Amino acid sequence: MSLSAASRDILVATVGRPHGVKGLVHLHAATEDPATVEDLGALHDVQGRAWSVEWHGAGIAALRDASGRLLADRDAAARMTNVKLFVERDRLPEPEGDEFYHVDLVGLEARDRDGELLGQIREVHDYGAGVSLEVAGGPRDFIVPFTLACVPEVNIAGGVVTVVPPVEIEVEGDLSGAGDVEVRA
Amino acid sequence: MARSVWKGPFVDGFLFGKAEAARASGRNEVIKIWSRRSTILPQFVGLTFGVYNGHKFLPVQVSENMVGHKFGEFSPTRTFHGHGADKKSKRG
Repeated sequence: MSLSAASRDILVATVGRPHGVKGLVHLHAATEDPATVEDLGALHDVQGRAWSVEWHGAGIAALRDASGRLLADRDAAARMTNVKLFVERDRLPEPEGDEFYHVDLVGLEARDRDGELLGQIREVHDYGAGVSLEVAGGPRDFIVPFTLACVPEVNIAGGVVTVVPPVEIEVEGDLSGAGDVEVRA
Repeated sequence: MARSVWKGPFVDGFLFGKAEAARASGRNEVIKIWSRRSTILPQFVGLTFGVYNGHKFLPVQVSENMVGHKFGEFSPTRTFHGHGADKKSKRG
């Protein structure tokens, strides 16, 4: 079973090189909208230190520590280079309706209707033509469309999704319309 | 008239036949194809193709607003993982 969603930290930004001499840094947001990094409020690094972010332009940010102090100068900013900033999963806003965070789906066990283990969700693909889940680590690796027909149940708390893999078919034979064709799984 | 308009959309002939045969068979599952260069035609709407990206067959659920685009546009060969912290998707 995967870790519960609430106990996980989500990487939301990585600090880049210093910017100027007043303690500003380049910040690489890992969220879809960079403004979310500021809206989330208190973040933390791997050492447990708390930080908050204020954007000062495209990709340029000021960092405040737990006591609200900004980084003093460029040297302090340089010491922050490559520091990763995280937020607890349960501080992300809850998705609406039948929406799911990709970070919640990755790592869930995929089981068929009989409870047989098919693998774990390794990746979520979304390239504009429907979402699909990549299942790996089981008897065989496969990709399944994230539809109600193919993924009828999603149990984030239980760490399990029920998957009905679609049949992948190939069509062979004379495709000009003159002869017979064979459709096989 | 622009040359591309005059020439019309390109579709590999066998792909058209595959879609027709799959639809006629009544098994509307994932149709595995390798033809990334083919244009998506209105006849393909509602079908799901597994489009090869050099590594795996990514499911492409064809909808009306994809008509005129190429299959390869929806099955990228390189994957960017950078902005996935709060990415969410709706179940189709």
